Amino acid sequence: MDHHDTVDSDEHPDEHPWLGGLIKVGLFLLAQSIAVLLVSFVALLVSFETSWSATTEQASLLQPGDAKSGSLLLKEDGATTEAIRLGTDVDITVSGPTLRTRVTQIFRNPTRDWVEATYVYPLASDGAVDTLKMVVGDRVIVGDIKERQQARVIYEQARRAGQKAALTEQERPNIFTNSVANIGPGETVLVQIEYQEPVHQAGNEYSLRVPLVVGPRYNPAPIVQSVDFRNDNSGWGATNSDPVPDRDRISSPVLDPAKSAPVNPTSITVHLKAGFALGEVKSHHHNVKIESPDNMTRVVTLVDGTVPADRDFELTWKPTAEKAPSVGLFREHLGDADYQLAFVTPPAAEQAIQKPLPREVVFVIDNSGSMGGTSIEQAKASLLYALGRLQPNDRFNVIRFDDTMDVLFTTSVPADAAHVGEATSFVSALQARGGTEMVPAMRAALTDKLGDTNMVRQIVFLTDGAIGNEQQLFETITAMRGRSRIFMVGIGSAPNTYLMTRASELGRGAFTHIGSVEQVEERMRSLFAKLENPAVTGLTAKFSEANADVTPAIIPDLYRGEPLVLAAKLDKLAGSLEIKGRVGDRPWSVTLPLQNAAEGKGLSKLWARRKIGDAEVARTLRERTPEDTDKTILALALDHQIVTRLTSLVAVDKTPSRPEGQPLKLSQLPINLPAGWDFAKIFGERPQQPPAQLRDRRADAGEPTARRPAPVTPDAIRLPKTATSAELEMIAGLIMIVLALILFVFKRRQTLLADAA
Amino acid sequence: MPRLISPLALALIGVILFGDGAYIHAKAWLAQALLERAFDRSIATGQPVKPWSWADTWPVARIEVKRIGASAIVLAGTSGQALAFGPGHLDQTVQAGERGVAVYAAHRDTHFRFLRNVAIGDIIDVTRNDGRRFRYRADSSTIVRFDASGIDPAATHFELVLATCWPFDAVTSGPERYLLHATLIGNRK
Repeated sequence: MDHHDTVDSDEHPDEHPWLGGLIKVGLFLLAQSIAVLLVSFVALLVSFETSWSATTEQASLLQPGDAKSGSLLLKEDGATTEAIRLGTDVDITVSGPTLRTRVTQIFRNPTRDWVEATYVYPLASDGAVDTLKMVVGDRVIVGDIKERQQARVIYEQARRAGQKAALTEQERPNIFTNSVANIGPGETVLVQIEYQEPVHQAGNEYSLRVPLVVGPRYNPAPIVQSVDFRNDNSGWGATNSDPVPDRDRISSPVLDPAKSAPVNPTSITVHLKAGFALGEVKSHHHNVKIESPDNMTRVVTLVDGTVPADRDFELTWKPTAEKAPSVGLFREHLGDADYQLAFVTPPAAEQAIQKPLPREVVFVIDNSGSMGGTSIEQAKASLLYALGRLQPNDRFNVIRFDDTMDVLFTTSVPADAAHVGEATSFVSALQARGGTEMVPAMRAALTDKLGDTNMVRQIVFLTDGAIGNEQQLFETITAMRGRSRIFMVGIGSAPNTYLMTRASELGRGAFTHIGSVEQVEERMRSLFAKLENPAVTGLTAKFSEANADVTPAIIPDLYRGEPLVLAAKLDKLAGSLEIKGRVGDRPWSVTLPLQNAAEGKGLSKLWARRKIGDAEVARTLRERTPEDTDKTILALALDHQIVTRLTSLVAVDKTPSRPEGQPLKLSQLPINLPAGWDFAKIFGERPQQPPAQLRDRRADAGEPTARRPAPVTPDAIRLPKTATSAELEMIAGLIMIVLALILFVFKRRQTLLADAA
Repeated sequence: MPRLISPLALALIGVILFGDGAYIHAKAWLAQALLERAFDRSIATGQPVKPWSWADTWPVARIEVKRIGASAIVLAGTSGQALAFGPGHLDQTVQAGERGVAVYAAHRDTHFRFLRNVAIGDIIDVTRNDGRRFRYRADSSTIVRFDASGIDPAATHFELVLATCWPFDAVTSGPERYLLHATLIGNRK
C-alpha cells in the first residue's frame, strides 16, 4: 500500500492531497473488511472443531468425583453407570438343627439400556448353595449345577445370544457373585438362591447369622513372586506376583454414606422351629417383631419392613429349660445312603478340681482403616477387658498392626501391674488407619520366643478380617502354628466369618464374634471361659455297626461350651455311635443309639459341604495335592448339587429377549459401607466437603432402636448445567473486533500524518 | 505491514470468539430443524428415530407454548451433547404424561430462552414421540440450587418441570436454576 501511495503522489502532484488520502483510506478499509469476512468464515469452520472439543470436555467432566460441578451423573459416556436397583428378600426356615435360607434378589432396570448386572454378596461360610431360580415375568427357570468354566461358557453364550441368564459363582466360601444378563429397559428379573446351613450352638444358646454385605477388602501388594511357565516348555515364563489374583471379583463399588442414601433394601423373615420349648429369642443388630404361634415356634420379621444391607443379621435363641439339651441326633435318608448329624456338648470340667495352667497370651489387634469407626472401639474395649482378666503368673504381649506393625514387648512379660498398665495405655492410644497386612502380624504372634512348655500358649487375634489374601494367612498359620492356639475375635458389623472360622480351625482354637460394644463383655467372658478352662481333647468317634464316612475326619479339641458337631454318611442306620475323649485329665465317653435319631432336612448337603471344607483344609496343611483336592471337591459338588469354587449354578431362559444389534451395558452393583465403618479411613479423603445435612460420614452405627434412613429413597434429582458460553464469547468477540478496528484506524491515521508531513 | 499485525491478530481472535458463540446458536437452531424431521418420522413410525446417524440421543417429545409461539423438540438424556441440540429429558424422571414428575432442561440462552416469557397460567402442550399429547398448565416457578431441586421423583401427582439456568441474563454459569412447574390438565389422543 505504501508503494501505491507514492505512485499516486507522483502522478497527481498538484491535486488535493487530502482528498486522495481519504479515498485511499476508504479503499483500504474496504479491502480490510473483505479480509475480515474471509477470516471470520475460516474461523467459523475452525470453531466447528473447537466447539466440539469444548462439549466433549464438558462431558468428560461428568465423573463421580466431580459431582458438584452441576452436571447430572448418568451413564451416557460409560464412565458412570446408573445403578440397577436391587432389592433383597431373605426367608429363613429353621428346622431343629438345620436352617434353609432362600435369598431373592430383585434386579430392576430403570434405564433405557439392556443391562448385565453383577452383584457381589456374602453368604454364611458353611452354607451349601444348591438352588438357583430365575423368574422372568411369569416364567421360572431353574438353574443347573455345572463345572465353573462350563457354566461360564453357557452363560456367555446366552448373554451374546440375547437370552436372559443368571449365574451364581463362589469367590470365597462366604462370597458369591450373581450375574444376570440381558435385563431389558424397565424390566425386573428375580434371582433366587437357596442354601442349607447348620444351626450354631454355644453353651445353651443357638444362633444363626445372615451376612448382608461384603466389607471392602484390603488386598496386599505383591511381595513374593511365583512364576507361570509357558506350556510350550520353552523355559520362558511370566512372574505371577499377585497375592489376590481375583481382587476384581471380590471388590464392588462402595457407596460413600455421606454422599448417597443407603441402597439394597433387604427384608428378612425367620420361621423358627427350634424343636424344643423356646425361651429368649433375640436379634442383636436389627429391630424385629417376634410372633409366637406356639411355644416351640417363632416368626421373626423386621420392624421397619426393610433395612439397608449394611450389617450382619444375628438371631439367637435359648430353650426355656435351664440347660440346653446336651445331645442332638438327626438323620436323613437320601439315595442309597443315610446321613447323620450329631451334636454333643461334653460336660464342663469343674474348675475347682484343677488349677489352670499358667498361660502365655499374645494379643493381636488390627488397627487398620477398615476398623475405623465403631469397630476399633469394640476391639479396644475387648482387649482392655482381656488385659484386666490376666492372672499375675500369666505372661503376655501385645501386637498391633495396620500396614505397619508394633510389638509392645520384645518377649512376653509377666502380667504384673506395671506391664498391664503399660499395655493399657498403649491400647487406649490406638487409632484406626492404613492397610491390613495381617500375615506379618500373625507370623510375629506365632513366633514362640519363650519356648516354655510348662505354659499354654494362646493367641487372641482381634480383627474384622477385611482382607482378600485369606489363603496366605492360612498357610502362615499352618507353617508356624507349633504349639500355639489361635482364638479369633471377629469385630464389627460385617466381619469375614470364613477367615475367622478357618483360621481358628487351623489354629486349633475357637472363634468369638463381637458385633457391638454391648456384646463385648458377655462375649469376652465366654472367650475367657474357653481360654481358662481345660479343653476336651483326644476326641474320637466310632460307629459300632455302620460303615461311616465321618467329617471332621480329625476331631478338633473342644473348648468350654462348644458342642461337637459330627456329620457322617452311613451305609446303614444301625448300631450306635460312641464318642470318647478327655475332659481335662479325666476320661469321658458317650454312646448314642442311632435308632433314636430324629428326621432332619438337608443333612446330606451339610455333610458334603463339610467334606469340601475338610478337603480344603487338607490342601492347606499340604496333606493332599491341589489336584487331588480339586477332584474330591468336584465329585462331591456335582453329586450333591452345590456351588463351590469349582462349580457354579447357571440358568438360561431359552427365549431370546434382547433384539440383535442392541448393545448390552455392564452394571456392577454398588454396596453399602458396612455399618460403623469410616469411609475416609478406607478410601482416603474426599476432595470436597459433603453437603451439610450429610456431614456425618460414618456409615450408620446406630443401635437397633435408632431410626435409619429409608433405603428406598431414590437419589435426589440433580439439574444439569443449562448455560452456554455463547453470549459471553460473542460479546467478547465483538469487543475485540471493534478494538481491532479502532486500533487499525488509529495506526493508519498515524501513517497518513507521517506521510503528509 | 508490521504495524498491522496487532490489530489483525486482535480481530482474528475476536472473530474466532464471535464465531464460536454464533456457532453454538447456529447449531442449536439447525439441530432443531433436523430434529423436527426426525420427530415427525418418529410419530409416523412409532419408533424412536435418531436425527442423524451418529447421534447418541433421539427426540422424545415436542413442547409448545402457543401463546408466545415457542416450540422445541426434547431429546433423551441431558449430556452436554444432547443439550447443545435441544432440551433434554432427565433420564431418571418419568415420561411426560406419566404419574410423577417429568423434568426437561435446556440452555437459558438457546432453547429455553422463551421460558422467561412464559407466564403462570400459560398452557404448555407436550407431544410424545409415540404420538400421545398432554396439556399442562404452568402454575408456579421457583429458583433453586442445582443440587437441591426439591423435585421428588417418587411424587404421585402428574407434573412437568421445565428447568434452565438462572438468572436469565447472566453471561456466566452459576449454581442457580429456574424451575417452571406445570400440572397436567388433560390429554388428547
